[in-house]
Amino acid sequence: MDSSDINGYPVKPLNMHQLNHKGDLPGDFALWIFIFAEMLAFGVLFVAYAFTRAKNVELFNVSQLTLSRTSGAINTLVLITSSYFVVRGVAAIKKGLNKQCAHWLTGAFLLGGIFVCIKMVEFNAKYTEDITMSTNNFYMFYLSLTFFHFMHVLMGMIILASIIIKANRGGYSAQDYIGVETGASFWHMVDFLWIILFPLVYIIR
Amino acid sequence: MFNSKPQSNLFSTVIWLVLVALTIMTFSLGEAGLSGKGVMLTLLAITMIKSQLVANYFMSLRNTKFLWRAIMFGYFLIVGGLIALAYLQAPT
Repeated sequence: MDSSDINGYPVKPLNMHQLNHKGDLPGDFALWIFIFAEMLAFGVLFVAYAFTRAKNVELFNVSQLTLSRTSGAINTLVLITSSYFVVRGVAAIKKGLNKQCAHWLTGAFLLGGIFVCIKMVEFNAKYTEDITMSTNNFYMFYLSLTFFHFMHVLMGMIILASIIIKANRGGYSAQDYIGVETGASFWHMVDFLWIILFPLVYIIR
Repeated sequence: MFNSKPQSNLFSTVIWLVLVALTIMTFSLGEAGLSGKGVMLTLLAITMIKSQLVANYFMSLRNTKFLWRAIMFGYFLIVGGLIALAYLQAPT
């Protein structure tokens, strides 16, 4: 053991907010509590959807056919790709490359914008058909689940934007990137939840 | 109980490509109009693989304690398992 190491943990990170211990969750633990809470809320809605469908199979199957599977699939690819860009952004900042990190995160942000646009087109299509949450149980779940998720995408984009601005100013370093990891974890959660939502609501019948 | 080896950019790219391929597979099953319990279980299995790839390699949980990976896997087992149960008991 050398002077900068106690029980395998570094003694002198510049402050407690700059480095996590090996084995800890990436980013700020407080955000992970939020992530787990959000996953729980979505999980309850996913299961409620499935059991409500079991009592209204025909209604759900017919209503599901009115959704654009193509839009859902494109949005899945968009979110997966944006998550990959975020991974590359985190890898860049771990090497202290602020500009490169900002570029990758800007790519992710723009893809988030594409997701939002496609989703708004979908919402508008349902609105012009006079379909609302009270139309039937399927649309109640479809609109509430996707709108709830949509709000998370918007929140994720605000978080990404704030990280991009700070990275562009050289605000992170190879020793201080916990803010980037925290925002990245939130964005991956948005992707993780959509990966379950897409097949459940658009595909499985 | 955790892997501290950094993940290379090439490996992340491979994971992304696998996720893209699995998404296309899911979409193709939907477009083919396939339904039934076997298809439902296949789609849930694909979803489980995708969710765990994101959790372990994008969220970097492979570098964390077993507990955190177990929570993410347990989450899918419970949510995915209950979804499967609901679909299996639904009249066809």
